[in-house]
Amino acid sequence: MQEELFNKIVDMDEEGSIKMAREYLESGGDPQKLLEVCRNAMGVIGDKFEKGEYFLSELILGGEIFGNIMKFTLPLIKGDTKKLGKIVLGTVKDDIHNIGKDIFKAFAEAAGFEVVDIGVNTPVEKFVEAAKTHKPDIVGMSCLITAGLSSMKKTVEALKAAGITNAKIIIGGGRVDEEVKQFVGADAWADDAAKGVRLCKELMGVEG
Amino acid sequence: MTKSPKELAEERLARFEAAANLEEPDKVPLWGLSGDIIPACYGITQYEFNYDYEKAVRAIEKFIKDFPFDFSMAGLSGLEGRIFSIAFSEFPDLSVNLGMISGPMHDILGDKYYRFPGREIEENASPQFIGGTFMEADEYDKLIEDPVGFISETVLKRVCRNLATPRQAMATWVRLGVEIKRSAYFAGEIGRVSAQLGFPALPLGWGYAPLDIIGDFLRGIETVVLDIHRYPEKVKKATEALVEPIINYALTSKMIGAKYAFFPLHLNEYLSPKLYNEFYWPYLKKIILRLLDEGIKSFLFFEGQHEAHLETILELPKGWGIAYFEKTDIIKAKKLLQGHTCVMGGIPMGLVTGGTPAEIQEYIKKLLEEVKPGGGFILAPGVGTAPADTPLKNISAVIEAVEKYG
Repeated sequence: MQEELFNKIVDMDEEGSIKMAREYLESGGDPQKLLEVCRNAMGVIGDKFEKGEYFLSELILGGEIFGNIMKFTLPLIKGDTKKLGKIVLGTVKDDIHNIGKDIFKAFAEAAGFEVVDIGVNTPVEKFVEAAKTHKPDIVGMSCLITAGLSSMKKTVEALKAAGITNAKIIIGGGRVDEEVKQFVGADAWADDAAKGVRLCKELMGVEG
Repeated sequence: MTKSPKELAEERLARFEAAANLEEPDKVPLWGLSGDIIPACYGITQYEFNYDYEKAVRAIEKFIKDFPFDFSMAGLSGLEGRIFSIAFSEFPDLSVNLGMISGPMHDILGDKYYRFPGREIEENASPQFIGGTFMEADEYDKLIEDPVGFISETVLKRVCRNLATPRQAMATWVRLGVEIKRSAYFAGEIGRVSAQLGFPALPLGWGYAPLDIIGDFLRGIETVVLDIHRYPEKVKKATEALVEPIINYALTSKMIGAKYAFFPLHLNEYLSPKLYNEFYWPYLKKIILRLLDEGIKSFLFFEGQHEAHLETILELPKGWGIAYFEKTDIIKAKKLLQGHTCVMGGIPMGLVTGGTPAEIQEYIKKLLEEVKPGGGFILAPGVGTAPADTPLKNISAVIEAVEKYG
């Protein structure tokens, strides 16, 4: 099953992979093993994206397949699965776009991160509060519009002012680059979800 | 000898046309910034800029006076309204006025597409397009059968709270007409102010990629991408069905003397070459070629990364129009398209927001050394919306760099 399911997910066979995962569990398969297979497949989809073989539409479909399989798999997993780390994630103030954030979230969860999603148009205070409450390893900020660049800068400043210095900060979105990273004062930047997840792993000292 | 405003405007227009015609102009044309910086410079909120036309005109006047780019998108604020233009595509006199939806129009329609400052979002936020899903997957057949009918009679009712009943719709359309008339005066005022300051009115009309109509206005971007995998034939037929209405709507801009049709492209970056060449490009190409037959050059804004699809531009006839790139490597694009397509773009907004004047000047100098030779190039920010706190000296540095090295 494992190799066949892995291939079905990587090849974007939505119907086939969901059906196969269901049948595997119904026939008494191990949900923990199924989770591993799905995670590995998502990793390969991310790699293919970074190599230019896959595009955003495949990332969206991959996230959709993974999410659908998790819906009936996660409830069967006893106890906590080991997490790579915790990410507080939100789209910054004055930006209401969610697509990039949601794709990143799917791939970060598939990679083994716990993601606390604090939504879109997120005020600076809410980032600070979430960072205090959840004590994340990483704070992820997403934005699509250029107005978001200033919001990111203000959010980073507020986190520092609040004494949150242990969490690494990664910014993501269509308009960010190295220049923006420096302007904002972040630790890493990515303009695509696959790279974002790889950098988060690197920030955690795990092989990216 | 200072030049008269009229001479300046003619010079600027000639510069643009020379580049569009693949010639080398007297100086590299510079396409400017707009966005949150315009109300910020004038000391008004985004809400005022979107809802108080008088103040908006004055803010634009100050901005173009302070920062004399050759051209810019500085105009009355609005968001993509193409779906309304298509709904009215059988009525050219109305269709032509619905390409952009302003804050007051958004209030009248009560639509769910847009978020405006002082309404759904706070007073100093930029107006944003959010879209959504307003058509179910099993309704593709209706869209294919009668795209204009389905959009105008079924979809718009779902999108706009104030079109829910026929009686509400009656009142809403009349109010919208009154608002269009009111705003036209201020749009004219911007034209007059621009002319007095030596800026030309670019003869710009509009176009749109058929698949983007489905992604932006009917199904939502994430959903249409899944639809392509799930119901490929339906999506393809629907895309094809939208070609003719879009052409009809794009041709309405001929009435106002348009020579260029501006298309913002959205799904180009989302699709692999295989999907792009099957679902997106053939239908977009049909529209470009048809407009070219009508004497209109297309002006395409390739959002995001377009590198994977660059070669397809060469399928168009030489001199077809302008390719404006956001994040694609502009030097690579210019090399590939030299002598075939006018290329536009090159300045990363991150540099203007976070760099220093010296870094900006150095960057533009180096870039122009690569892309200026042979003409057919327009320098522009990758995306023209400058945040409110963009350092003003950085904006001036862009203009100075072109004076020196353009």
